[in-house]
Parts: sequence; C-alpha cells; structure tokens
Amino acid sequence: MFFRKSIIALTGLFLCIFLIVHLSANSILLLPEETARGLYNSYSTTLRESPLIKIVAYVLYLSIILHVVYALLITLNNRRAKSKAYAVNRNKENSSWTSQNMGLLGIMILLFIVVHLANFWARIKLGMGEGVGLDANGHVDVYEVTYSLFQNMYYVGFYSLLMIPLGLHLHHGLKSAFMTLGFYHKKGLKFLAKAALVYAAIMAIGFGIIPLIVFLK
Amino acid sequence: MKVTFKIWRQENKSSKGNFESYDVEGLTEDMSFLEALDHLNELLVAQNQKVIAFEYDCREGICGQCGVFINGRAHGPHDHMTTCQLHMRSFKDGETIVVEPWRATAFPVIKDLVVDRSALDNIIEKGGYISAKTGTAAEANAILIAKNVADRAMDAAACIGCGACVASCKNSSAALFTAAKINHLSSLPQGKHEATQRVLQMTRQMELEGFGSCTFTGACEVECPEGISLTNIAEMNARRAKAKWLG
Repeated sequence: MFFRKSIIALTGLFLCIFLIVHLSANSILLLPEETARGLYNSYSTTLRESPLIKIVAYVLYLSIILHVVYALLITLNNRRAKSKAYAVNRNKENSSWTSQNMGLLGIMILLFIVVHLANFWARIKLGMGEGVGLDANGHVDVYEVTYSLFQNMYYVGFYSLLMIPLGLHLHHGLKSAFMTLGFYHKKGLKFLAKAALVYAAIMAIGFGIIPLIVFLK
Repeated sequence: MKVTFKIWRQENKSSKGNFESYDVEGLTEDMSFLEALDHLNELLVAQNQKVIAFEYDCREGICGQCGVFINGRAHGPHDHMTTCQLHMRSFKDGETIVVEPWRATAFPVIKDLVVDRSALDNIIEKGGYISAKTGTAAEANAILIAKNVADRAMDAAACIGCGACVASCKNSSAALFTAAKINHLSSLPQGKHEATQRVLQMTRQMELEGFGSCTFTGACEVECPEGISLTNIAEMNARRAKAKWLG
C-alpha cells in the first residue's frame, strides 16, 4: 500500500505542475482577439510538434491512469478495512468534508477530463468529429474550437462548476501528497497548508472563470 | 437526569448484533460516562437481564482500555479525551446517546462494546521495543539526549493504544498508532540501532492485520486522547522510505 500511495502522490504532484502550465496557456485566451488567436494557435502547434512534449504527454496520460487505478485499488482495500459503517458518524467535527470525499471529488474530475478530452483532444489530435480549420498563419485553429465551444452556456456551466471539485481535490491532495512522501517538517507543513489553499484557489478560479469570460466576450 | 441509551448488543464474534434502547433515570451530571453505564448495568441486573459488556481499567485517562464510539465520535463529543474522562454533563437531559463499538475489520467485536485490539499488540511484537539491555534509570540518564529530541519522543510515547485513531479513521488505518510507536523508539539513541528493521516490520504487520491506509483526513489526531500529531505519520513515511531505499 505504501508503494501505491507513493505513486498516487507522485502522479498527483506531476498533475499539479501540469495544471500550472495548462492555466498559463489558457490565460492567453483573455488577451484581445487579434493577439490571442495567433499566440494560442502557434503555442498549441509548437506543443503538438515538439518531440519532448510528446514524451511529457505520454507521462501525463500514464499519470492520470495510474492515479485513478491505484486510487481505486486503495479505496477498495480501505473499504474492506472498515467492517461496518457507524450508525451515527460526526466526522465533520474532526476532519474536513473534502478529506473524507476525495474519491467522490476524483470521480467528478475524471468525468470532467473525459468530456474535456472529447471536446478538444479527440477533435484536434485524433481528428474525430467536426473538422478543425486553419488560421491565417496556417496553424490549426484551436482558438476557434475553444471560442465556439464556450458559446454554449451548458458547456460553460459544466466547465466552470466542475472546477469547484477540482479546487477541493487539489487543496487536500497537495498537502496529503507531501505527507505521504514523508515531508514532516512542522513549519514547512504550516506553509504548505497555506500554499495548497492559494494554489487550489488560483486553479479553481482561474480555470473556472476563463470559460465565463470567453462566453461573455 | 434522564437519558436514552441506544447501545450495540452483540452476543459474540459470530453473532449479528443490533441496537437496544434503554431509558435510564436517576443519573447525575457529575457521573462519568462509565458510571452511567454501571448504573444501567445495575438496573439490568435487578431485572435479571444480561449486563452490557464494556472495557475499562484505570478510569483516569491513562490506560487506553475504555474506547467506545459515542454519538458519532470516538470517546464522545470532546476532542482529545478518553471515554472515562467524559461526564454526563456533556449531554442534555432527555438526550438519546448512541453507543457503538470501534468499527474496523482488524478489531472484531467480542461482545457488545468490547472489541479485540490484539492487532495493535501484533504490530508492537514486530519491533515496538528495544532488544538490547538499556540499563537502569541512572544509566539511561548518562546518555545525553537533546531536549527537543526527548520532547518529541515523549510526545509520541504518550500513545496509550486505545484505538481511537483506527476507530475514527474512515479507512480504519492504524497509521497514527504505528507511527507513534516507531517515532518514539527510533528517535532515541537506544532505539536507533534497530530503526531500519523496526519501521519495515511494523508497517508490514500493520498492513497484514487488515488496517487501511492513511489518507490524512486528520480525524485520528483530533480523537486521540493524547493529541498525537498527524505529522508523526509523515515522519513514519519518511523513515520507511529511507529504510526501504537506502537501507
């Protein structure tokens, strides 16, 4: 179990770093259209064509799969360890709701990832569904894909609302990952608790607000 | 004072068990929770019924025997308290108090509110000791130990093995207990020599006993009568990783 927990922690931390890069790229969408379209499309083209990013992408896919599979195995084992649920359980008085429901939050995020991959990855990388045009520079027009998707208010709602479970999951996950990996410095952990809150808030608000801004633009 | 106790009754390990309700009058708020159970048992004896089995020993908060789950919390509604230190003044007159045994696969119910906590002893047997002779108290005093090291070892050594950490953990993890024992012994000069095998063997036994893994909800730290810090588990993880990969 220690090995599995460590894998969950390591893949989780890798995904945390990935999110920072992802959000930085998303923020290009907030620039005025003339700059944003060219920049966003050339950025995504560079990513797709870089061999280094290809390796990182496979590490990313593997991280998500390992994170989910090992979390599932650990959860099943943990369920077996509890013989019977308490008739009355006031666990809200001794721990956060988030920490008690990481699995549920994880499932919500996984659902989001599936829809998100279907919207972008499947269309752009796998060429499934509606074709994607080129921009003035001959780059695949990912900007257009994004903007047209976020004209649909249901997608905007889905993308924005599901950033709440993401933020909660990150808040507990970041702290927990460090402790799982053996970080036990008292002052460091106090700082980590604050840093995790700031990080989770930036991720949730950042990812959640961009679709709204795009919708209202 | 009058309360309704809703108590888990189970004849033995293999029977199914169920809740029974008891209206109890004549209690005072100065009674400890265990005295209230004693009072109920006296009433049951008078009615020629079977008494409720529950564990206790010292009744002064240091032995760790008296663990039960009361109204959804290990050792009752307060943080950092044993069941014997809980008093009836913590409940309202006329309240229904739900009392359950610790729930964990590794802690099978023996009878009513009594569970078998041998799993914790089995973990101790795998390294919760120092095998070399450490001498008398005078000899121990001759070994210089920095104040901060001694304090941290003592904080971990405060664990009374009550099992509240396991009971309150949603995964029934014994990580806080095991970490406290490992960190207590391995941080002291006398315990350092066996530190590597201690952490590997005790954490292995913890898994074999069927305890779940720690997901750092922090419930254990709040319910622990001794307030043993959650950082002990992170320290155990560090010790384990070091032992595993660096030897």
